[in-house]
Formats: sequence, structure tokens, C-alpha cells
Amino acid sequence: MVKAAIIVFAAAFTFMLTIGAAVYASDYGKSEMVHFRVAVPAGNITSPQVIKGAGAPLEMAPIIINLQQRGNLKKVLNPGIEGISTHWITNIGKKPIKIRMELVNASIPVRWEVSANLPFDPDTRTFIEPLPPRESIRNLGIDWFFLIPEDRLYDDIVYEGGLLLSDADTGETLTFLPITVMNGAGMINGSGGDCH
Amino acid sequence: MTVIETIQKNRWRYLSLVMGFFLFVGPYAIIARMINTATGSMASPTLHTLCYRMPIDWLFGGRWYALLGSVAAVFILAVVILAFFMGPVFCGWLCPVGSVSEGVSRATPLPDRFRLRIRDPQITKGLRYGFFVGFIAVSMIVGYKIASMSSVCCRYCTSSILQNMANGLTGQMSAITYWHTGSLITLFSWLVIGGIFMSGGRGWCLFFCPLGVLSNLSHTVGKKLGMYRISYNADKCQDCTKCQVSCPTWAIDTDKSVDSHLCITCKECTNACPHEAYEYGRRR
Repeated sequence: MVKAAIIVFAAAFTFMLTIGAAVYASDYGKSEMVHFRVAVPAGNITSPQVIKGAGAPLEMAPIIINLQQRGNLKKVLNPGIEGISTHWITNIGKKPIKIRMELVNASIPVRWEVSANLPFDPDTRTFIEPLPPRESIRNLGIDWFFLIPEDRLYDDIVYEGGLLLSDADTGETLTFLPITVMNGAGMINGSGGDCH
Repeated sequence: MTVIETIQKNRWRYLSLVMGFFLFVGPYAIIARMINTATGSMASPTLHTLCYRMPIDWLFGGRWYALLGSVAAVFILAVVILAFFMGPVFCGWLCPVGSVSEGVSRATPLPDRFRLRIRDPQITKGLRYGFFVGFIAVSMIVGYKIASMSSVCCRYCTSSILQNMANGLTGQMSAITYWHTGSLITLFSWLVIGGIFMSGGRGWCLFFCPLGVLSNLSHTVGKKLGMYRISYNADKCQDCTKCQVSCPTWAIDTDKSVDSHLCITCKECTNACPHEAYEYGRRR
């Protein structure tokens, strides 16, 4: 009887630990390695919105990274670098697009890491083959790491700019996703999510 | 057994575990590289190409469409089928995540009294299945948008940490500059608590690996149907307990029987037993 109770307790313990880990991840995940979706063309994303076009609707929202909202371990052990990431860039338009990316107003160093099943030129940050309509870039993983200088770590606004996606052939703006890295109390990120 | 004797007797497994690193972890990632070549993919071959967890998350989270055409899903299916016929040999002989924590544990000269070992496999199983049920629950809650919660797949990912560490070791130091809260917790749970401070160094595998659970469930069914397993012969046993000490997954019960829900067919027990009380083979 005692043994059965111990086994049930053990199972309940790891069950609750897993649920707790998921709840905690949803909390710190709002400001650590935020994952977001990108649709092109989607215009200027000034507020959370559902983008409709070819294919399934996509939710997009301005990204606000509140450095104070990060987990305590992160804040203590690895505070000077924060990342955002996407695995989804989808062409919701009607014509193939050669996508160029730019991080606007890069006032602090930002490291790009791009892996995709579409040829990418890291110098011009352009996918050199067009993305057909209704398709997403396969096996995509783009991480942007904001390398925050120590003297700016507690600034009210650390970075304020955004991700600009344009048509590499015409220069036309396709999508602008505002990104803010800041320090503040009680801010809630409009984006967030998991990597799948 | 001395360390040298242990290495000599288990040399094929240790070689296989080293090979597993090159087969699955980038920049080598030979299997992912072969898959990418076959499918014409230009993505970097990494340990993520064959993610251990996401397809399981999709399965229980109602995203079956994501399973179609996923090489990771095919990989998981292959591991589970292999476990049915041969036992969880991927876990015991190839998995780079398990081998690294086991290696760290074996290489750390920490007296056994400082290491956790649960002697009763029933309790270990309770802990293991508690996590797995929790994992399924989270997958469903996230997948069906029942409540605001984040998947535990990517936020606590050992593969990601191992891949970043491998990238760092091969010169890409920037790979190990970013750590989020989940990766810090995972690193500590995987290598420190589950590795150094757990006897056998397989704490993560035992308590937080859904693929390990699925493999052992498959193995348990296979065992009932007479497939390959480690079996125990009580007549040959001299009660020396070397088998229990050698087992990295605490699968050997006090009566020396092998629990198929925990055994990873590493054959450490067959090699440790001086009386050949353990044997790997098929039987009814």
C-alpha cells in the first residue's frame, strides 16, 4: 500500500513538474527567444492582426521584448544577449517573390543565423531564389541575436526598429514588423510562441 | 570491475556511442546529411533534422498533417519499430544525448554515495510515466489551444544544447553565447543532476525523454511476443549485485529481473555478470 502510494506520488510529481515547466516556459517565452511568423506581403504590422491571403490565415503582431520579463536564471547568467526567431516566412501574395531582409535602425550589434532550404546570400540578406505564392520557405530557421552592450542593458529602450522584408527585384516593401527591445514593468508581448 | 575492464568489455557499445555522435550531431550529422542529399534539401544538417520530440508533440497535439513528409517522424517510427524487435538499441547504443550525459557521469570521479540511484524500478517507472503523461497533456493543451501554455519540446531541448555545444567545439563559438532560461535549466538537469549526480548518468533519458518512453513501451510489447531482450537466469546468479551497479537505467530489480520499461539493452549487465546470468536473445 505504501509502495503504491509512493509510485503514485512519484508519477504525480513528474506530471506536475512537466505542467509547471510548460507554464513557466510560456511566461519567460514572452521575452526570451520569441518565435514569430512572417507573411509577405503583409504591410506595416502596427498592431496584432490576422493576415489573410493565399493559404491559411496568419497571426502577426509587433514584437516587444521586455528584458525585465525574462527568467531569473537568464537575467543573472546570460543577460547581455537576447534573441528572436522565425521558422515561417510565407508568401501569401499571388506572384513569386525574391525576399530581402533588413533589420531597420540596428543601433546595437545584431547577429544573424540563417538556415533554409532556399539559397540565401548572407551579404545582401536575400533569398536568391523566388518564393512561390502560397508557399513557405522549407526547413527555415532564422535567429537574430541582439548583443546588448553592458551600458545599455537597463536602458528604457534598448532597440527600436523592425524587420523589413522587401522585394529584392523591385525594392518594394512587402512587410514591416516592428521590434522593440526595452526594459519596463508589466509589459505584455503581443507575439511569442513556440518553434513549431 | 575496474574502469579499464568496463571499457574493454563494453568497447563495442562505447565505440557505437561515439559513432552515434558523428551520425547525428552536426557539423557531421552523417544521417541528416544523407537525408538532405536524397531530398535535395539545402538546410544545415544538424541534430534537429531528426528531432526526437516534435513529431511526438504533433501526434498528441492534433497536428497530424505535420507528420506527413517529416523525416523526423520517420526516424522516430524507425526507432520505435527497432525497439520492438531488438530492444531500445538506439537509446543504449547510438543516442548522442544519452551518451554525453552517461559519458559525463562516468568521467566525473564522484563517489557513489553522492549519486542518486532509485533501487525500485516501480518508482523509477512512476516518475518516468508521470512525465510522459504530462508531456502528452501539454501537447494536447498547446495543440488544441485549451489554455495558455508553452510546449516543453523546444523550450527544454537537450538536442539544441548538444548541437550548440558541438558547434562551439568545432570553432563556431557564437553558438554557445546565447542561453535562454529553459536551456539553462535543461543543461543543469541533463548534465549536472541527470548526469553527474545520478548513477549511470541517464537521468534525463529516464525522466524527460518521450522517445525513450515510447521505445521502452514498444520493447515491452515486443518482449511479450518473444522478440530480443535481456533475460535473467536465476540459476546462474550468485547475488553479487554487479548487474545492478552496472545498469545505467536502474532497470534491474531487487530480484535481479530486468524491467523492460527501463532497459535500454546496453548489455552492461551481461558484460558485468561473472556468472553469465544475463543473456541477450529471443525467447518466449
